[in-house]
Amino acid sequence: MKILIELTVNEELCRLEVEPQQTLLEVLREALHLTGTKEGCGLGDCGTCMVLIDGKPVNACLMLALDAQRHQITTIEGLDNRGGLHPLQQSFIDAGAVQCGFCTPGMILSAKALLDINPRAGKEEIKKTLSGVLCRCGSYPKVIEAVLAAGEKMKGGH
Amino acid sequence: MKRLTPFSYFEPATLAEAVEILSGSKEKAYLLAGGTDLLIRMKRGEIAPPALVNLKRISGLSSIEREGQSGIRIGALTTIAEIEHSSALRASHTLMAEAATALGSPSIRNLATLGGNIGRASPASDMAPSLIVLKARLNISGPRGNKQVGLESFFTGPGTTILQPGELITSVFLPDPAARSGAAYLKLGRGGGMDCALGCVAIFLTLGNTDTEVKEVLVAVGACSAIPMRANKTEALILSGSLTDGHIQEAAMAVAAETSPITDLRASESYRRQMVQVLFSRALKLSWSRARSSKDTH
Repeated sequence: MKILIELTVNEELCRLEVEPQQTLLEVLREALHLTGTKEGCGLGDCGTCMVLIDGKPVNACLMLALDAQRHQITTIEGLDNRGGLHPLQQSFIDAGAVQCGFCTPGMILSAKALLDINPRAGKEEIKKTLSGVLCRCGSYPKVIEAVLAAGEKMKGGH
Repeated sequence: MKRLTPFSYFEPATLAEAVEILSGSKEKAYLLAGGTDLLIRMKRGEIAPPALVNLKRISGLSSIEREGQSGIRIGALTTIAEIEHSSALRASHTLMAEAATALGSPSIRNLATLGGNIGRASPASDMAPSLIVLKARLNISGPRGNKQVGLESFFTGPGTTILQPGELITSVFLPDPAARSGAAYLKLGRGGGMDCALGCVAIFLTLGNTDTEVKEVLVAVGACSAIPMRANKTEALILSGSLTDGHIQEAAMAVAAETSPITDLRASESYRRQMVQVLFSRALKLSWSRARSSKDTH
């Protein structure tokens, strides 16, 4: 049973047909070719499929695509629409917070959700916020360093 | 890519329509709320629902509202994150925010719903013990109309409840706590909140005329029996004396004896029994100190 749906992804309206059982993750990667959103465990544990729904992080592997209608979806590709790098992206590069890179979209999007509300967030709050994203390389110290540095930049009102 | 197997899909716009679909469906229909438990079990192949009824188009099921002077009503589709951050709940039922913060990761809490957590009837539910000690009542709609049921008598076994075909939870009512009361929820799980609870304890305590006299106490334990359970015997023991270290220790032994934990891959029975004593003692001391520092009137 194909259903016609409308998704607003990175501020762009997309009309597409989906099956009810298709997850948002499947549709983002396979129909819209936004492969920055990864599948790790596919079961809500690893957080590498993180996207923002109305600014809040959710696991795209646990959401039906048709339930993402009427919401603003942000993937890692939509982080900075002005063509440059978002302060978080720049900070991750500067701090060397990317190792294999598989968790990076989830880390950056989770951090963005926090810093958009509170760029002054401290280490403990950052740790709690990122608790849903696993990094098998163990890059956590550098990731936290990068998020703190991005917060400093964003305080200025990015 | 882990995919879901196809199912018949229903998207009722009203509660009445949902009840009609649920009662009329020849296939076994599962309710879809947050999906953080249902979709995982489907992907793992543990269940293969022939039909899903998505409740999210029904309006009015996701608000937190005061009900006069008597208490607060939380819609079944309210997310765990909304409970965690609700200023209304923090003002009157801080325990709810404490329990919500212990559930899963932030992104899971943005999806998972209160009704889903209750309806799933997991013995390790993070919300159930706190809801039990807060005397939560569930509002249930079904083919024979609406009814209200105390949460304590809702669970019948792991994954099973008293819900009849066609019935669903629409909201949860929490009466306002008495003055001079305090509550605490403590959980043991690997890696903080992310993991499923190995054991969890919620306590609600109201003090009498003195700071050591207990007027009322409710104790609920999770992940240590087939259902989230109320520890009645332990409550009676606490009420039988005034709060001293010795009395608290005695009560901790009682709660360990009253639970019936199992050995599984997460933890052994004896470890769970020991840990529930530790959690219980800490939770009782914490709720006691909160009761002492609470305002005399609400």
